[in-house]
Amino acid sequence: MQQFANPRRFLRLVDAVEPWAWALTVILLAIGLYLSLIVAPQDYQQGETVRIMFVHVPAAWMALLAYLDMAVASAIAIIFRHPLADLAAKAAAPIGACFTFLALATGSLWGKPMWGTWWVWDARLTSMFVLFLLYLGYIAIWHAIDDPGRAARIAAIVALVGCINLPIIKFSVDWWNTLHQPASVFRIGGPTLHPAILTPLLVMGAAYLALFVTLHLTAIRAEIMARRLRQIELARADEV
Amino acid sequence: MDLTAPHLGFVFAAYGLSLVVLAGLVLWLTHRNRTLARALRQLEAQRAPRRRAIGEAP
Amino acid sequence: MTALAAVIARDLRLALRQGGGAGIALGFFLTVLVLIPLGIGPDVALLGRIAPGTLWIALLLSVLLSADRIFEPDHDDGSLEIMTLGPIPLELIVLAKAAAHWLATALPMAVAAPSLGLLLNLAPTLLLPLGLAMLLASLALSLLASLVAAVTVGLKRGGLLLSILTLPLYVPALIFGVAASAGDDPLSGSREAALLILIALVLLALVIAPFAGAAALRAHLR
Repeated sequence: MQQFANPRRFLRLVDAVEPWAWALTVILLAIGLYLSLIVAPQDYQQGETVRIMFVHVPAAWMALLAYLDMAVASAIAIIFRHPLADLAAKAAAPIGACFTFLALATGSLWGKPMWGTWWVWDARLTSMFVLFLLYLGYIAIWHAIDDPGRAARIAAIVALVGCINLPIIKFSVDWWNTLHQPASVFRIGGPTLHPAILTPLLVMGAAYLALFVTLHLTAIRAEIMARRLRQIELARADEV
Repeated sequence: MDLTAPHLGFVFAAYGLSLVVLAGLVLWLTHRNRTLARALRQLEAQRAPRRRAIGEAP
Repeated sequence: MTALAAVIARDLRLALRQGGGAGIALGFFLTVLVLIPLGIGPDVALLGRIAPGTLWIALLLSVLLSADRIFEPDHDDGSLEIMTLGPIPLELIVLAKAAAHWLATALPMAVAAPSLGLLLNLAPTLLLPLGLAMLLASLALSLLASLVAAVTVGLKRGGLLLSILTLPLYVPALIFGVAASAGDDPLSGSREAALLILIALVLLALVIAPFAGAAALRAHLR
């Protein structure tokens, strides 16, 4: 990890890896979409709408993964003062926010035919909504503080406190739901997932993971360039 | 896929929305990268002549 | 210890003054509790059912409203920087300010809430559980409010940021607080469980808020 503290070396790595990452993403997405839309069978209860799960669940997984990524990067930034760690955290946030939004929106689209309402306060959707707020708050902190160094430290604190809070929220909303909805807990496809449903889900999950990694690398590169740009502009202001 | 199934619109909406948002994200990030790279190239080109000039000064 | 008490006393005096945070919060609390029955209608049974939740929401919002006055005034006139350089660790200062906020703002509202709940037709059997749960939770609320206030001190549009950042922190306290004060669920054991979890939340906040808040203040004042 210390090797990549040098931005130039990291950028060279990103340049080398990027085409392969994109290729992998496209291939996995192609296979995943084929499996999801053509191969996977109808669900005996939900009919065709079960296919929404193949874009909803991977989005939710990535939403959580991106936040974990942010939290780990923030911890590394605070503890080890690794120069690229806070950029990695900053870069992950908009991506994570998009995945969270997709998880919420596709969740609603899945829920409407199933439960009859666009929104239910079940444990998953509620936790996802709070996660979305956590992302918005984190992104807002970066925009609210002018000095990047200061913004990085405060944002890191926000990310870590949010990370501690997230499992507590999930636990509390779960608990709240068992109090208020004892019977109607929704289980996707039953206690165990049928392989015909599991395979498309896993492939789409892998595809979304590849997409997330690719986008994250791209975003980190952008942040490195933006920081370099700012350094040059500040230096020019000094020269003048 | 059974094209006569009820609620098929929801499936298309979900996949369509996912496509739009993710494609938008990809486009925004790649556009940002290109803009920043161009700005950096311009600034570095402007600095290079000046640096040479400073180096040449006795 | 006396220095700590001095910080608490100073903050208390400022908060209880005219225009201090305590008056604003209490006023808001009362306003919400009067407006809700007027907005919902005179259905007394309905009001009784939503009374616990309503009281909790009013408490949360009122504490949130007064949160930006925990650090902002001291930041504005420079006394916060002076406190950073002083003999008391910044973590204890955050703790002291949270304590002062609790004493001046959250505690009075938590104490008043059950009796005000009678306005909302709160069932008399719930008065004690509600009061106890609010007493406990108000500690967590003040601590968490201090944490977020430290994070957002001096920021433009800090008020909006404060709300966005505080909401996720308040959700567990709200859920377990209401559960600890509600009455009509058949699993009465869950009320004790909720109370225990609430205590755990308070202890967690007691540990996290001073350290994270102090770290945020240091980052701001560097």
